Amino acid sequence: MLSLVKLVKGAIALNWRQLLLGALSLAIFVSAWQMYSWYLNANVSGYAAYVPYPGEVAEAFVDSFVTPAGTDGLVMSDHIIASLKRIFMGFVIALSIAVPAGLLMGSYITAEGLGMPIVEIFRPIPPLAWIPLFLVVLGYLKGPAAIVFLGIFFPILFNVILGVKRVDPILIDAAKTLGSKKRHLFLKVVLPYTTPYLMTGIKVGLGIGWMCIVAAEMVGKYGGGVGFYIWDRSDIGQWDYVFAGIAMIAILGILTTGVASQVERRLYAWMGMK
Amino acid sequence: MDGHEVDIRMEALLKVFKEETREIVALKEFSLDVGDGEFVCLLGPSGCGKTTVLRIVAGLETKSGGRVTVSGVEVEGAGSNRGVVFQEFALFPWRTVRKNIEFGLEVKKIPPHEREAVSSTFIDLVNLEGFENAHPHQLSGGMKQRVGIARALANDPAVLLMDEPFGALDAQTRNLMQKELLRIWSATRKTILFVTHSVDEAVFLADRIVVMTARPGKVKRIIPVALPRPRERTSSEFISIRGEVLEELDAEFAKTMMREMTDASVQHKA
Ligand SMILES: Nc1ncnc2c1ncn2[C@@H]1O[C@H](COP(=O)(O)OP(=O)(O)O)[C@@H](O)[C@H]1O
Ligand SMILES: [Mg+2]
Repeated sequence: MLSLVKLVKGAIALNWRQLLLGALSLAIFVSAWQMYSWYLNANVSGYAAYVPYPGEVAEAFVDSFVTPAGTDGLVMSDHIIASLKRIFMGFVIALSIAVPAGLLMGSYITAEGLGMPIVEIFRPIPPLAWIPLFLVVLGYLKGPAAIVFLGIFFPILFNVILGVKRVDPILIDAAKTLGSKKRHLFLKVVLPYTTPYLMTGIKVGLGIGWMCIVAAEMVGKYGGGVGFYIWDRSDIGQWDYVFAGIAMIAILGILTTGVASQVERRLYAWMGMK
Repeated sequence: MDGHEVDIRMEALLKVFKEETREIVALKEFSLDVGDGEFVCLLGPSGCGKTTVLRIVAGLETKSGGRVTVSGVEVEGAGSNRGVVFQEFALFPWRTVRKNIEFGLEVKKIPPHEREAVSSTFIDLVNLEGFENAHPHQLSGGMKQRVGIARALANDPAVLLMDEPFGALDAQTRNLMQKELLRIWSATRKTILFVTHSVDEAVFLADRIVVMTARPGKVKRIIPVALPRPRERTSSEFISIRGEVLEELDAEFAKTMMREMTDASVQHKA
């Protein structure tokens, strides 16, 4: 847990110049937003309700953690946990299938020849196309998780295949002359060589995973989730809470990829790459 | 061979590379014996098949004909009785210096404390104390090749096969590494088959220099270097042997050049 805190800290540790520019950029954005809301309200625009003031959104954000919803009694942290659960499920399953499949398809022409056509059939289909089917068949927890799985699966698969194919042949030669049998070549050369590629696949996959989860959860009728929360609040016209939910997704996405980048960087350092 | 036992025996090696449109005969009737504990340099114009010879002995390349035995045993694929040092170093980037050197020992399932004792010995031998935990990308070229040599030696091979191991180094480092290699050789008494295209390097290092013909490669002439070590590059004996080797080589370089020019003109016409 402590190391996780360290990772998050590392992810947001920036130098002063960056920090200053970041604050400035944020200030410009919030001011523009504030002025746009003023403008809409001053003109008694019908759109004013859809663009709440930044202050209102901030308030709603804090309140979403504190006041349970009238309908289901859930607070934001419940929704975060629900979304994380689905992401985690989809991620673990994607990892445990894509890694062995990628290693096989990268190593054996036969495996690639058999696997690639199937992969090429499913790859162009946006994961979101499966939402209706998966929600009906798998329900509101596993259904979105399955969508996330599809989003994460392909980046990991393709990166692992790429990693295996890029293994420097001279390292295989070196390992052979040091007495390696096939098993050693795989465990001691191919696997470590592929690890950074796998990390890239994970990072890209998690980013896509967050995109998928929001859409999949929105269609859900219960079981919580930040996507569900956004949809639920828009149904009753609480636009400040809708924006709070959107902000939450952004924060979670940034944190996830930030942590993944940190893990990647540490892994590279530990493995002596770069 | 000074009455030494034969350690590497290559008999009538033939190697044909089959490409889509043509066949390249890289080696033909290549025969050579290397004695136990001997230091032999293979010298020849680029593309004459030096690397191919070494890779066949290492078991990394199949042969199209002929026979290779190492310590009396016929070569069947790569094996840890033949250590190889590569021009590209071929270190495992994710392993530290120590872990690179211990690779072969891990494969052999030597227990960790024994591995460490062995790797420490070879770290000392190649003068890499203090760099045990460095990764290859933190090392200079010369240091990388020290690791490459230590890694090959840690497996206690009968022979050491070196393919232009200092080719990627600058001249100063190269000269230093040549001296270091001779020191290591006299400490370990391994049989060394060393590929180079530098005449100077061959005369500085070798017991015998094997000059190869242009492709298809075979032995053109074997020139013994009977100078005591350490050798002085400026001595008249050194210079005279150098001249002799250069003369043998020049003819082959000319052949290679001629062929490259005709190859180019054929391609030009096509
Ligand atoms: N894998 C290969 N496929 C086709 N031709 C090759 C291959 N390896 C080497 N050759 C050819 O065989 C000849 C000898 O190559 P090599 O042993 O690398 O020469 P050297 O090490 O003396 O420069 C060259 O003409 C080279 O082009
Ligand atoms: Mg070569």
